[in-house]
Amino acid sequence: MTKILGKTGLESWLHNIMQERALVAPKHVGDLILFDPVQSVDEVVFDYENTNLSPKEFFFPRTDTLFTTKSQDNDVELIPTIIDQETVIFGIRPCDARGIAMLDGPYLDDPADSLWAQHRNKTTMIGLSCTKPAPQCFCTSVGSAPNDSSSVDIMLTEVDDGYAVEAVTEKGERLLQGVELKESDVTLSAPSCDTSVPAEGIVETVKKVFDSPYWSRLADRCIHCNVCAYVCPTCYCFDIRDRTDKGKIERIRTWESCQSKGFTRIAGGHDPRADKGSRLRQRFCHKLLYFPQQFGPLSCVGCGRCVVSCPVNIDIREIISDLQELGAKVG
Amino acid sequence: MGEDFTQQIRDKAKELLENGAVECVIGYETGSDGVSARPAFIYDAAEVDRLAFDNTCTHNLVKYLLDKKGKSTAVVVKGCDSRALNLLLSERQIQRDKVYVIGVVCPGVVEWGWNKRSEQLQKRCNWCRQHTPVVSDFAVGEPITEEPPAEFADVAEMATKTAEDRATFWRDQAERCIRCYACRQACPGCYCIDCFVELLDPEWVGIRIAPDENWMWNTIRAYHLGGRCISCNECERVCPVNIPLSLLNRKLEQEVLDLFDYKAGMSEDAPAPLITFKKDENLGIAE
Repeated sequence: MTKILGKTGLESWLHNIMQERALVAPKHVGDLILFDPVQSVDEVVFDYENTNLSPKEFFFPRTDTLFTTKSQDNDVELIPTIIDQETVIFGIRPCDARGIAMLDGPYLDDPADSLWAQHRNKTTMIGLSCTKPAPQCFCTSVGSAPNDSSSVDIMLTEVDDGYAVEAVTEKGERLLQGVELKESDVTLSAPSCDTSVPAEGIVETVKKVFDSPYWSRLADRCIHCNVCAYVCPTCYCFDIRDRTDKGKIERIRTWESCQSKGFTRIAGGHDPRADKGSRLRQRFCHKLLYFPQQFGPLSCVGCGRCVVSCPVNIDIREIISDLQELGAKVG
Repeated sequence: MGEDFTQQIRDKAKELLENGAVECVIGYETGSDGVSARPAFIYDAAEVDRLAFDNTCTHNLVKYLLDKKGKSTAVVVKGCDSRALNLLLSERQIQRDKVYVIGVVCPGVVEWGWNKRSEQLQKRCNWCRQHTPVVSDFAVGEPITEEPPAEFADVAEMATKTAEDRATFWRDQAERCIRCYACRQACPGCYCIDCFVELLDPEWVGIRIAPDENWMWNTIRAYHLGGRCISCNECERVCPVNIPLSLLNRKLEQEVLDLFDYKAGMSEDAPAPLITFKKDENLGIAE
């Protein structure tokens, strides 16, 4: 039997959630749809393909304070950031949730990143299956599906008279306590994701084509902005700086990207990835080779945001195909 | 436009690559969506058939010449893009004898995004008064008689708002900014080896991706382009969060036009007003 929550039931549930927790949901911001804190259910967008930016910023904010200092009696105390706020993210897509779960690899590996761990503990993700994957989507080619519930706490799937509800984790069950659900014998059909990308075996292929001139030719076109990395749910690099304000020091970290000139520049001026080709190769090698070697899955969830947002059409789906073709020639 | 332009560009590219006049031709090809254009780099005469030209050819390819310094390169430019050539020539960033200009007369490009295109002209094309390239070694298309001087309706409208409303408007825009620097990377006028935003000493702008710092970034960048922006509007096109940067750039363009009767990139040797010192100059702004 499937458990169903009616549309009005969903709205009052979200309303109740908002009374005790912060609710983050897809919302219209200018002409974009972004995950953003909402103050009322009316602000929530229920019918959307995918948000312009990924929801990773609710776990890995654009700017985060690691700690501040307090000076007293010739002593300096470090005050770490404590996250108290319980947050619920509503409407997260399976691909985005998977991206976040994937980053537990690098961020919770010993020694665990305290801020990431706190954000993860304090946040409950309510997933929303995709009923109509967008043309840029390719989640099924990278190990997921439009109804993949493996990385959310609760999964909702739109059906005729509301949403089918699946509590995936204990955290999800707790959030659903007291919510009235109807029993139904509706069967859920899995929507298809039409775009197929030949990602199978790509880890081995990338090793073979590492030295190919392909990268520098591709980098001709790349303008080396950070759009792809910043819209990506699985890019997690950052920069750290100390900020001094009236004697108080704040250590902050902000998003950074391997596409930036100087990202790997070291004291003395040497930059091992000084040319555009090696910087672009780094992005794809990290996603398709280093991350899988270290943590298992490809670090691409097939959301297609980089495909749509790149100003010069650097398309990861096309690149995977090209690399497979090149790899086959190398043998 | 269309097929005829495409054929002329291909033929010229083939000739230039075959006779060794250039090492590379930078033009456009059809992107991975099959409906819109993207930049293309052709090194081999056998590959010229990749080149194409249609009304989605938006990217200002002149920016790429900065990566090709010292190498003979041909570049496809539209009217607006061609002004960037003059900008870079006058600022001694590129050498004229290393660049072969394929100048395409452009009636305007349409609104498009990945996998979608419309028939509606882009905003930039409505204010464009440079359909015919100002620099060209090989012209594609018949020159268009340019219309009267550009108007600044959008800038004028912004000016009717109170200072407070303008501040709120720009603060909202800055809040969305993610500091990806796509605006800078796409801009032909942004070529500093070390951009002020990344300098540590002095640290002009903090690294926080937050409204105050973001606003500082966008404002200083706009000022650095005062009297230099050639109105290609690539910055606004590439912005992933749709910040209307043209409102800033065009405000400064209008100020420079009013004060100095100067438009950037119209010629290679006209002195740029903001970097030219005239002893007797009196603009009436400080007695």
